[in-house]
Amino acid sequence: MSILSVRQLHIMGKQNHIVKDLSLDVHEGEWFALVGQSGSGKSMTAMAICQLLAPNLQAKGEIWYGEKNLLTLTSSEIRKIRGNRLAYIFQDYQGSFTPFLTIGQHFDEYQRTHSTLSKKARREQAVKALISVGLNADIYSRYPFQLSGGQLQRVSISIALLLEPDILIADEPTTALDSVSSFKVLQLLSKLQKETGCAVLFITHDLRHVRKYADRIAVMKDGAIIETGDKNQVLNHPQHAYTNKLIQSSPSLSRNPFKLEGVSG
Amino acid sequence: MSLLDVRNVHKTYDNGVEILRDVNFSIERKECLGLVGESGCGKSTLARCILQIESFDQGSILFEGTALQNKSERSLKPYRKNIQAVLQNPASALNPKLRIKDSLMDPYLQFGSEVNLKHFTYTSEVNFIGQLLDTVELPKSFAERYPHELSGGQKQRVTIARAISIEPALIILDEPASSLDVLSQAAVLKLLGGLRETLDISYLFISHDLSAVQEMSQRIMVMKGGVIVDSFENEKLFCSDRHSYTKELISMFE
Amino acid sequence: MELVIKKKSKRRWRMTVLFTVMATVLAVAAYTFLILKHDPALVNLGERLWPVSMEHPLGTDHLGRDVLTRLLLGAQLTVGYGLLSLFAAVIIGVPFGVIAGFKGGLIDRIFMRIADAFLSFPDTIVAIVLSGLLGPGIENLLLAIVLVKWVNYARLVRSTVITERQKDYVTAAKINGLSSFGIMRKHLFPHLIGNVLVLASLDLGKIILLISSLSYIGLGAQPPAPEWGAMLNDARPYFQSNMLLMIYPGLAIVFVVLLSNILGDYLRDAFDVKKEVES
Repeated sequence: MSILSVRQLHIMGKQNHIVKDLSLDVHEGEWFALVGQSGSGKSMTAMAICQLLAPNLQAKGEIWYGEKNLLTLTSSEIRKIRGNRLAYIFQDYQGSFTPFLTIGQHFDEYQRTHSTLSKKARREQAVKALISVGLNADIYSRYPFQLSGGQLQRVSISIALLLEPDILIADEPTTALDSVSSFKVLQLLSKLQKETGCAVLFITHDLRHVRKYADRIAVMKDGAIIETGDKNQVLNHPQHAYTNKLIQSSPSLSRNPFKLEGVSG
Repeated sequence: MSLLDVRNVHKTYDNGVEILRDVNFSIERKECLGLVGESGCGKSTLARCILQIESFDQGSILFEGTALQNKSERSLKPYRKNIQAVLQNPASALNPKLRIKDSLMDPYLQFGSEVNLKHFTYTSEVNFIGQLLDTVELPKSFAERYPHELSGGQKQRVTIARAISIEPALIILDEPASSLDVLSQAAVLKLLGGLRETLDISYLFISHDLSAVQEMSQRIMVMKGGVIVDSFENEKLFCSDRHSYTKELISMFE
Repeated sequence: MELVIKKKSKRRWRMTVLFTVMATVLAVAAYTFLILKHDPALVNLGERLWPVSMEHPLGTDHLGRDVLTRLLLGAQLTVGYGLLSLFAAVIIGVPFGVIAGFKGGLIDRIFMRIADAFLSFPDTIVAIVLSGLLGPGIENLLLAIVLVKWVNYARLVRSTVITERQKDYVTAAKINGLSSFGIMRKHLFPHLIGNVLVLASLDLGKIILLISSLSYIGLGAQPPAPEWGAMLNDARPYFQSNMLLMIYPGLAIVFVVLLSNILGDYLRDAFDVKKEVES
């Protein structure tokens, strides 16, 4: 059952055609990975879904969420959906927080926009969310600069999932983290996804994440999707030469005896 | 005598955090030593201490037997031609106001008269830059460009070209491919591997990515909380006598 | 593509016009003696307050001196004094700021205290006070201006240096064996030159206004110097009968100040390498 359907999406800048005729479906409760190199248009696609594109870019096509075409909604209508039903986490964890607001105040802003709980209830809800992502309750009163990248990203996840959205769009959430933090964040995301049953549209350039967590994947190159399918099918039997190249280039631990020039691809 | 000796190095920050604790290891000629650990474990600080751009509290760092610490900048300068670096962030590693060729010439202008270049030959600046760009598989026309006209992967190649230009004995690579996407990463690592062969350079390859470290290094060290918790030959990565933290890292990458 | 090309040639055209005008102004200022027919200081009460004529294209002033001659010579003085004090302020301020920013620590702290002291007073007031204390005269005015203006350049340069010295390419330069001086010269200087030139060209306008204003109230250039501010002062009693005597130097001041502002804008664009490539 598809909860998000993108149909013939085009994104254009002043002089270039960034995303060309893109179509994809995200099904209820699934982890859908959108894989591509920098410049392939994957982040733009994600931003278009939430109407977060820069003003000099134009999006055409259809993005169906339930009965509504997201591209045709007014800004007040999209604000009701964004955050509530459609959540978003960014790659730049530092930038997605206001430096002079505490974590608690960030939660508050979110909660007040989408719910009518009392101050006490809001705090309780927030602390509960922080604990569910493995953080201490005292993070509530800290400032963003006092937290590490991994911690901030976990806060982002906890805020994003607070209102139990139908779909979470994660735009390269671990690209800027080291492997250990990445690992923990992804593990967490996977666990929460199973618990809440929300779908995840996961944007990444690293196939290792895809291998472990995704249900289905789409490969993007130069603004278009070149291959889509079930994860195992695409990774083990890639149809496109570019997909194959990506798979070969992905660094992986090899159990073979070490070769001095053992770089594949 | 090893190429580089790091002996009992300690460093504590003013706020009491022990960022390096009793760090001991050596790097031999023509070898690639990998150092893997999560962010904040001290590996970048260690790199900066070796490069003498950061001081440490106790211990010594020796290059071919000569201690480098506590030297004035002037007496340190001759050793700088032997130890170069490729740092993590390609975006800020090149001066945005200078053309690529001007950034590339820095090491040669300082040390060109002192080094005996085996691989590169200097006949003219244009020619020299051309050789460097060729070696890192970039077109010669890039010499006239500015950094913002290059992609992340291309900028990183330029910093590599700069580091190898005076054929140093040792290059410290601090997360050289971490900020690049997968295809660029693979290409840069392949390039680095090839260069080490051709130019007989030793590497200290620092990364949080165990698979990249495994690919590049003959020996691997694992760092946690400022301490080297494990050190082993590459082939022994999956042995049972590995440190628990090493095993934890392995499980994350499989 | 069309839009891009148009913009580029429009810019080129504007540049050429600007430079031609500036060059003319400077040439006129420098070589006035070649085209002057009249002695700017010769008093000739018999010919006072004559209107426009072939002999005197802008008429004569209250002492019979040719206005055009004085105006052109005034360019030499006003613009010349302006450039001189500006140059001195830059020569003092920039090295100060670079060293303070690069070295940091105690040197920087001392510098900041000195700069704070100088900055606590608005430049006009300081210039007036200093001129008042030292006595009227153009040398004292210029000294006052330099004392007030150098701090701006030092601070501008210092903040740029502090930002850039933390960047990886400065670390790389150090690893590549460059000395502190070498780093300042090769890597930091290109960052400074643009900012300094922009500030300087905007400052030129302000300095010229300051010189003219203070000369107007008698604290700067002294008669019979044909400095524009002084000329304005001289023409004050004749404002009702011979308004033009005030308008000419006034317009001249406005013209040069405007020119320096435009130059400042242009220079700022020219030094932005990103913009240079994009257009």
